[in-house]
Parts: sequence; structure tokens; C-alpha cells
Amino acid sequence: MRIPRMLRAGALIAAAVVLGLLAVQGTYALWNAGTSTAPGTVTSASFDVALTASPSGQASNMSLSGGTAATINLVQSATITPGTSVYASVAAANNSNAGGTFNTTVTVDQATLANVNGGSLAQYLTVSAKNVATAAECSTLTGYATLTSAGLTSASVPKAASTVLCFQVSMSSTAPVSVKGQAVNISLPITARQLCGVPSGCA
Amino acid sequence: MKNTTLIKGSAAIALGAALLLGGGGTLANWNAAATQTPGTIVAGDLNVVNGAGVWKDRLGVDITAKIANNTYHVVPGDLLTFTQDLNVTLVGDKMAATIATSGISATNGFTAANNVVVSAPVLTVGGSAVSNPLHPTGSTQTVTSTITFEFKATTAGRADVSATYNFNNVGFTLTQVNTANDGLS
Repeated sequence: MRIPRMLRAGALIAAAVVLGLLAVQGTYALWNAGTSTAPGTVTSASFDVALTASPSGQASNMSLSGGTAATINLVQSATITPGTSVYASVAAANNSNAGGTFNTTVTVDQATLANVNGGSLAQYLTVSAKNVATAAECSTLTGYATLTSAGLTSASVPKAASTVLCFQVSMSSTAPVSVKGQAVNISLPITARQLCGVPSGCA
Repeated sequence: MKNTTLIKGSAAIALGAALLLGGGGTLANWNAAATQTPGTIVAGDLNVVNGAGVWKDRLGVDITAKIANNTYHVVPGDLLTFTQDLNVTLVGDKMAATIATSGISATNGFTAANNVVVSAPVLTVGGSAVSNPLHPTGSTQTVTSTITFEFKATTAGRADVSATYNFNNVGFTLTQVNTANDGLS
């Protein structure tokens, strides 16, 4: 007597299901236990460097919200004569909330001098800089070096500490009278960098 | 005729009583009894519970409390290691069990620029990779799960400042298994 194909297929499926269920039941019949742990949340630090200019008194974080670079005026205006210098400084404070060691350096690159209204004063000016611990030391005339393309990099600035970059702008004694009354805008790019605060942290 | 029936009935009763007496006679023969104490069957045990969980920085300094209260903030170059001890209890003459992790169900707030590398949990026993299945040793076994979190030193600019990586939960399972010819179903 022939068994209809549908019936055979159904029986086969049923047998497979039964076998499958038996197999699954067998697995659950053995003991098992579980546990879990919650290691917590790891948070990255802020990278905040606060700048305070002198003599302007302006203050700003180096990076503004959104990550854009801040602009800070050191000197609103100063008068300079041939053979003399004017001075300014900026204090950079490492305000990071890093959990471990977090040292930074502050680098000022070569100055860019831009004559205002087509003047020619810039070529008679020299920008020098030095790195000191306090703004008061800027008035000491020793230690200044001309800013070259190599720039000036500060000493290491630990977390919650600060450093001061002093600037000296000198006017050549050979400057002609024609530059009298002219103005120059001086730009000083300043960059703060993280130092390798942890062993082997920076390749 | 009626009397005959009565006599037959009485005789049957008498025969039954006699048979009962015969049964009573059996009690008079020798007999003996004994009891056996097969003993007590004790079930084994299988369990896994958390031991100590410790965070350390690259220098080996314990920062567990700082991670717990969110006062440790990582910077590029940081390498943190989390170790979680798991106390495994296995009792049973034919007990064997495998331990495994179901991984990390994290919420990653860092960018996808590969600034952070988080390892999968690595299970070890006594410093060596765990060799499943585990068998009873007569005492609680300590399996250690290790996870590393590296904030790569190559992170540029101010990428990922004040970002968070929440590990949420890391799961572990201990499952009894059959071994060859153990006689278990």
C-alpha cells in the first residue's frame, strides 16, 4: 500500500522536530550559570589651555566652542621709535582635567608682520621671544631671541600650571623718517601640544 | 433437604476455619529480616560569581575608584586595563563546564576614527589562557577576564575631548558539558 508523498513528508518533518526538541531539551538539562560585570564608563579629558594677554588684559581659551582657534590681542596699540622696543606677553595655563599626567608645551611660530595702509615699517621691526615662568620676568631684557621659522617652544607645562611667552618688538635704529606714523599688525601663531605624559604613550 | 444444605454450609465454614488454623501454623516457622542503608546521594554544584574588578593605568596604578566616580579622564596615549575575577565553583565527579564571555555591550561615544581600541574580554586562569572545559579542583577556581582600553597616541587635533565610552555590561556564562564516555545522558 503506497503512502502518499505529502504524508511521508509530514512524518519526516514531525520526526525532525521531535528529534530537534529532544536535542534542545538535552542541552538545557545540563547545569549552567551566568554573571555579568559593569566595568563603568571611561571618559576622555578636556584639552583646555587658557590664554591671558598682557598688557591688554584680554583672556580666552585657546580653542573656542566648536574647536575653532581663538584670537587674542596682546597689545591694542603701542608707540615705538627707532632703536627702542615694546613688550608684550601671553600666559598659557594648562587647565586639562586629565586623570593622569598631562603635560603640554606651548609653541609660538614665526611672526607675520603686515603693513597697514601700504606702509613699509614692517621691514624695520624684529620680533623676539623668550619663555619664562612669570610675566614679571618679561621686563628683564636678557634671554630674548629672534623668532625664526623654528619658533619658540615653552618648557613642559604640567596640569594646572602655566607658562609665559614674552615678546619683544624692536625697531631698527636705521629706520627712515618715512615710516613715521605707520602701523604694523603682528600675528603670532600659538599652538599647544600634549607631551607624552605616559610611558610609551607616544610613538 | 434443608438440613442437608445447613450441614454442607457448616462443613464449609469449618473447613475454612481449619485452613486458617493451618495458616497460623506457618507463623510458627523460622523467619528473618534485614535492612539496608544505600547511603545519601549528594548533588554537585556549578556556579560563577563576580570577584574583584580592578582598573589600572599603563603604569599599574589602581584607578578603580576614579573610574567609578568619573574623575579619571583619559588622554591620547592612555592604556587602561580592566581585570574582573570570576569565582567558579565546580563540584561533581563527572562535572565539566565551559566558561565563555558574551562580550561587551558598550555605548561608544568616541568617534569612529579608530582613536580608541577596546579589546574583547580575554579569559585566563593563573595567567594562562583558559582551557575549556574546566573540571573540579576541590576548591573555587578563579578565572580572570581582562579588557584593555587604549586611547591612541596618534589622535590628532582635539579629537574626542570629553567623550565617553560606557562599557555597560560584560556577560559570562558557565555551562556544564558532557565529556567523552562520562556516562551522562
